[in-house]
Amino acid sequence: MTRFLKAAALLPLLALASCGSLQNNIDVPLPSYSSELIVECYLEAGKVPSLAVTTSVPYLSPVLPQVPNDVTVTLTLPNGAQVPLAFSPNYAALTDTTGVKFHSHIGRDPLVARPGDVFKLDVVDTKGRHATSTTTMLAPVPIDSVSYKFNDKSPTERRAYFLTSFRDPAPLDDCYRLQLHKGDPARGVLLKAPETDNSLEDRLLNGQQFVFGTSYRFYPGDTITATLYHTERAMYRFRQSVRDARSANGNPFGQPSAIYGNVQGGVGIFAVLSGVRMTKILR
Amino acid sequence: MVLDSATRYYWLLLFVVLGLNGPLANAQNATRFTISGTVRGGRGETLPGASVAVPALNTGTAADSAGHFSLSLPAGKHQLVVAFIGYQQITRDINLTKNQRLSFDLQEGGNELGEVVVEGTVTLEQKLKTTQMGVEHLSIQEAKLLPALFGEVDILKTLQLKPGVQSGGEGTSGLFVRGGSADQNLVLLDNAVVYNPNHLFGLFSVFNSDAVQSVDLYKSGFPAQFGGRLSSVVDVKLREGDRQHYVATGGVGLISSRLTYEGPINKGKGSFIVSGRRTYFDIFTRALNKANEGKEDYSPIPDYYFYDLNAKANYTLGEKDRLFLTGYLGRDIFGFSSTNGFNFNFQWGNTVGSLRWNHVFSPKLFVNTSATVSDYKYELTNKLDQFSFSLGSQIRDYTARTDFEYTPDDRHQVKFGAMLTEHKFGVGRLDANSGDGRVNFGSDVNYYGLDGAVYASDNYKYSDKLQLEGGLRLAGFRSGSDQYGGLEPRAAARYSLSDKTSFKLNYAMMYQYVHLVTNSGATLPTDIWYPSRLNVKPQRSQQVSGGASFLLGGGKYLLTNEVYYKWGRNQVDFRDGAQLFANPELDGEFIFGKSWSYGNELYLEKKTGKTTGWIGYTLAWAWRNFQPQRGTNGVNNGQDFHPNYDRRHNLTIVVLHQLNQRINLTASFIYTSGNLTTLPLGRFGIQDIPGSSTGLDPRPVPIYPDRNSYRLIPYHRLDLGVVYKIGARRDQDLTLSIYNAYNRRNAYFVFFETVKDKATDRITGFRAQQVSLFPVIPSLTYNFRF
Repeated sequence: MTRFLKAAALLPLLALASCGSLQNNIDVPLPSYSSELIVECYLEAGKVPSLAVTTSVPYLSPVLPQVPNDVTVTLTLPNGAQVPLAFSPNYAALTDTTGVKFHSHIGRDPLVARPGDVFKLDVVDTKGRHATSTTTMLAPVPIDSVSYKFNDKSPTERRAYFLTSFRDPAPLDDCYRLQLHKGDPARGVLLKAPETDNSLEDRLLNGQQFVFGTSYRFYPGDTITATLYHTERAMYRFRQSVRDARSANGNPFGQPSAIYGNVQGGVGIFAVLSGVRMTKILR
Repeated sequence: MVLDSATRYYWLLLFVVLGLNGPLANAQNATRFTISGTVRGGRGETLPGASVAVPALNTGTAADSAGHFSLSLPAGKHQLVVAFIGYQQITRDINLTKNQRLSFDLQEGGNELGEVVVEGTVTLEQKLKTTQMGVEHLSIQEAKLLPALFGEVDILKTLQLKPGVQSGGEGTSGLFVRGGSADQNLVLLDNAVVYNPNHLFGLFSVFNSDAVQSVDLYKSGFPAQFGGRLSSVVDVKLREGDRQHYVATGGVGLISSRLTYEGPINKGKGSFIVSGRRTYFDIFTRALNKANEGKEDYSPIPDYYFYDLNAKANYTLGEKDRLFLTGYLGRDIFGFSSTNGFNFNFQWGNTVGSLRWNHVFSPKLFVNTSATVSDYKYELTNKLDQFSFSLGSQIRDYTARTDFEYTPDDRHQVKFGAMLTEHKFGVGRLDANSGDGRVNFGSDVNYYGLDGAVYASDNYKYSDKLQLEGGLRLAGFRSGSDQYGGLEPRAAARYSLSDKTSFKLNYAMMYQYVHLVTNSGATLPTDIWYPSRLNVKPQRSQQVSGGASFLLGGGKYLLTNEVYYKWGRNQVDFRDGAQLFANPELDGEFIFGKSWSYGNELYLEKKTGKTTGWIGYTLAWAWRNFQPQRGTNGVNNGQDFHPNYDRRHNLTIVVLHQLNQRINLTASFIYTSGNLTTLPLGRFGIQDIPGSSTGLDPRPVPIYPDRNSYRLIPYHRLDLGVVYKIGARRDQDLTLSIYNAYNRRNAYFVFFETVKDKATDRITGFRAQQVSLFPVIPSLTYNFRF
């Protein structure tokens, strides 16, 4: 909501700024910047573990992603076994349009993960940079129901909103990520960009029923799939800080945020995805 | 309560000052009498701050907030000079053989400062001789002549032209005084606190110039009757209305219109004034929406307007009693209805009321007793089909205060009083509901606070050369079981080397018990006020300042130089990603640090003659430090940093010239160092989870290592204005304002933009963009009076 207000505050200003040449290219001499390891790893039960290790770069440097080739990655399983993840970047994913994600390192065997399992990650390069992280798989939270309702407008303007309901567990501090994808799951839409993608927390609704809705945006015949991930707070905070940092660039009302994850010695996030899905066709 | 060594020292100083004066004062009393009375304008309105002086004796006083004055003089013949900016001064010979009551009616000098005229230049002499430092008095006549953005006269923006006062950014009304933040200003409207003095996210102030009589800005040397904020006091007084005639005045401008009606009550026993203002952005945007409705990609422009209403009435109950009633209501209203069924309404504003009783016990003693209410709230509602969502916050104060002024002789001016405020802090209220009951939750976080103070001060004229002022304010605050208190010593001294030269020194300590919760770079209507409680201790600041004033050019010019050093503790900020709304544990989101600022302010002013104005130059530094704490890295890992409004240089030049009886020409020029801003030094990309986006998310994630490490280009701007009086009685005018006359592209903010290949839509690079807000903006306003 605060984001909306800041955007609203910006509207009249942007309207004025858009009159004439009130926006100009300038040279900004930025001080030198030391790059950091960026680590992003989302484990999923039944899938081969992989992760992306890149480095941050000076803001105005060329656009190519920096993928270091001197990084050794080790995943420690709940039973203490250490699994090396080999450097094997799938560069093709950088230009992929089917939803395949980029990874720099990948394991060999599908992962076995159960709620409560603790995983550790160790990332080290030859320059002495060393990043570590720990994550715990959370129990999935079931979706109770999905529903929709059409407005009463003419057929050409007929749209539906979509509701997703689930009950938050009793303990405080649960966080969620709820995505809605539109289209046939059999055709790979669940790998592509979602229609909506929201992070939620139970600060105001601990132990209660969540009913999360959209505006009137879906058409008759649409197939909607709701995916609800139960996430650690670290992942929630990582997403919020990424959002805040992005929105501060270009918003004079924004307060720049540091990036908060759970990777020590670098920047990034390490998590086990624990999700459930439910699909509905809008008739 | 802790009585630290500094506090003990100033208690001692006060007692020394009070103790010194007794015998001297008694020696003077035998052959002295008191003249007292009221200074009014030609329409019967009282003139707070008007000067009543006896130049031959090098003595004088200023009328209080009720226009009342009291002056002790030796028996015999004297020549009194009574003056006020914007009015023609009066010179009157008196033969003082007993205590006397005298009232003065000053005729308006039109709208022109130039007509204040000539010899006495009392106001500059008054500034030279008072112990008070760091105060700026602004008459509305002065502000009305100056060119203004969109032609909207704005007293807060006019104050930004004074030395030591910075704006928050292009076009905004926020005040940053001597290194303090915007929430550290105490803004008063006829004694009642105004918590959010802005409309439209800070572009306009809430004060309608038609209803305002005067503004005093205290930057240092705070009188003991003021407290509760660290940085400044903005004391706004509303006009009282014409006691003789029914008059309508108003104006039609580029973005708003104003209408004021005033007149006598019961044959001049009192008067009233009612004034309203409303913008009309929404009329244009609704017409645009209607014209575009049905078009492809139609997206309605949100409705927005603001209005404010001011009303004031006063009534003379008898020779010794007067009542004043003030009311203010202002609202900003923002509404949006999207084509996909989403309705959004947002409104915010202040409501202020004040009832004051002025009673004169004797020519030497009078009292103002008032009851005020201040309320600021915002309410935001969404609705979609059967679902509704609303949130809001509020702060409401009920205050009672009494202020005595006692003038036992011409050496002493004693002030004492007490105040008590009950605060209600509605920190966050949230409701979400659906018609079928599936959604039904809410949160309501409220706190209460009790804020009290007693104070006393004495302005003691030790000799013609030396004048001392000592004051103490004992303030306390309670919220739940948390209690705080502190002594706030105030001390000032003025030494006159000659009739044309004086040196001044002062010290003030201030506590602030309420804190603005904001994580934005600007003041937003959703900012929340929060009491001192739990870990959130009161903010404190101390300031020492010293200066010299010189009357030059035969008394036509006053040159003042002031230096200051201000330091504070328990300054508040918020950790990154703080949850500031509807959070019952909000105190956990605060972090605390130190502040310090210092600078030099040079000020040359001329208030008489056909050409008036001022030149101000400020060289200043502001610093903050927030050490790692409470699970955070503090700010900048505990390194010292500048707040974004830290500006090294600030030059203002204001000129008002009366060309003839019909035409006034005005110009203001400002040059300041650029604002500080935070730019990202690094960036990275994220892939995110499967099903979030395709490939590597192209939107870069900025990395901000240090806060406020980049300074924008210097800001400079020239505004020009012409006031052309029309009509046989010159009671109407056309005011032309040209804002940013040479169309300078000042930097409002800088950001990094992605450069894309148009054919492939792929990012090919990044570049810095500077955004400016206002180009040259001419505006014409028609002002009338019937």
